[in-house]
Amino acid sequence: MKMQRLLALSKTDLKKTFREPAFFFLMLLFPALLTLSFGFAFSDPELGMSFNAMAPGLFAYACIFIIMTVSQSFTELREHGLLRRLNATPMTSGDFIGSKIISNIIIAMLQVLVVFLLALPFGFSPNTNIGGLLLAFLLMAIFSLSSVGLGLITATIAKSSGTATGLSFIFILPQMFFGTFLPITSTTRVIARVIPSYYATDAISSIFNGDSLLTNNILIDFAFVSIVSIAIIIIGIQLFKKYGNK
Amino acid sequence: MFYNILKVKINNKKINVKKMEEIKYRIKPYEKPENIRYPNSEISIDVRDLKKYFRGKKSYDDVKAVDGISFQVKSGELFGFLGPNGAGKTTTIQILIGLLKPTDGTALVNGYDIHEDLPNIKELIGVCPQEPAVFKQLTGKENIELFGNLHLMPKVEIKRRTETLLKTLDLARASNRKSKGYSGGMLRQLNMIIALIHDPMILFLDEPTVGMDPRVRRKTWEFIGSLKQVNKTIFLTTHYIEEAEALCDRVAIIDYGELLDIGSPKELMEKYQSDDLEGVFMKITGRRIMEGI
Repeated sequence: MKMQRLLALSKTDLKKTFREPAFFFLMLLFPALLTLSFGFAFSDPELGMSFNAMAPGLFAYACIFIIMTVSQSFTELREHGLLRRLNATPMTSGDFIGSKIISNIIIAMLQVLVVFLLALPFGFSPNTNIGGLLLAFLLMAIFSLSSVGLGLITATIAKSSGTATGLSFIFILPQMFFGTFLPITSTTRVIARVIPSYYATDAISSIFNGDSLLTNNILIDFAFVSIVSIAIIIIGIQLFKKYGNK
Repeated sequence: MFYNILKVKINNKKINVKKMEEIKYRIKPYEKPENIRYPNSEISIDVRDLKKYFRGKKSYDDVKAVDGISFQVKSGELFGFLGPNGAGKTTTIQILIGLLKPTDGTALVNGYDIHEDLPNIKELIGVCPQEPAVFKQLTGKENIELFGNLHLMPKVEIKRRTETLLKTLDLARASNRKSKGYSGGMLRQLNMIIALIHDPMILFLDEPTVGMDPRVRRKTWEFIGSLKQVNKTIFLTTHYIEEAEALCDRVAIIDYGELLDIGSPKELMEKYQSDDLEGVFMKITGRRIMEGI
């Protein structure tokens, strides 16, 4: 892996994202609109719901959403012959996938920041210090690795960017319903226990509730998210290298 | 010089492809880092019994895209690889540049084997694909700079060569615009500049002028001719037989994945008693159809 290539490819990826109106909407405006909508809908005390409890789920959801954009971006490269062209240069697959990870983690962090800042006016008040905030962002960065991996798996299966959009919901919906901002019942918890977003949201909720950063609950969640995310990204890379990089 | 005397027909107009030597290749060669090894080979491309079969779901769906072809391309040669649609030209290029693995056989690119030394091959080659493959959201300049960075060129060199190539191919004025708004011809020129940014030793041009208007096409062909003067090996596929006749030192004619004949345009015209290469092409590929091979 060469730094010059990594930086050039990551820069290209970010420029592509921010210059394409549809991607820009999906990446930054959509999480912003989602936060504002949820903020207006659920921050009213009359409802008896706490927006504080919902906000961590929104952070995780912002990261989950990059599954769709990652898969679209890979399939588009393939459709436009750019993947072949890039593969005809000395670029290695490590350079290429590494740059995708870097750019998408940056995008995910921007999304989390947007959600975080927009949640504050609706009464979201994280009860933690700067260390807790940094840990929460680090956890989201690691969690977004799993989204890049799932995006790669989607891009491997999908033949076109249109199909990729639809297929990505196979991974987005379960994570959304069983692990982010929607309430979990004793039944749905059984499913949620195998879904990484559940652990990511649980850890962030604990951090923002003021729990000590070294409690078993946070450490276990952190370990689960890290192990699963690394496993998913490795599977995604292997599948994409073998079947999707054509 | 062959170029001086040969007249070719483009769009039914006789034009002189002359004084090709006068088109100066104005770009100073890029001094490559020492770690990029260049074996001192007189043969740039050595294809040995190369085969590529695509397996279908049923045996009758199998396609023999390339069926045991062998030929050599000398260093500094402008080599035309001609054939009708679906003859196996692009598949051959894709094998040579490492995008496809051959079913059997091998090829050496500047002495490096495609099975073992692909990273070294990729350092040496520039590829201009049939369909322009550029990032539409990036400007022309950004696209070129990206590929310079992928070849680990120094920033100063990237800037210098980008500017010179943009000027040479008349794309400088549009270079700061997003390539999304480029015309088909401009995209093809950008496609070619990207292939040349790192000053490759061997250039693979797959139908580089399809879709260009006659003026741009002619300029591009002149530019391709000028590359020969700086000892670039050029492997070219084209549908414009008359231009291949004017530019190429040697041509190979391929059909149904088989190499039908190879030689200089003059040799082939004599051999097949034809006034032009197009006649040769029609005789060779047409005869196969009549024989029902």
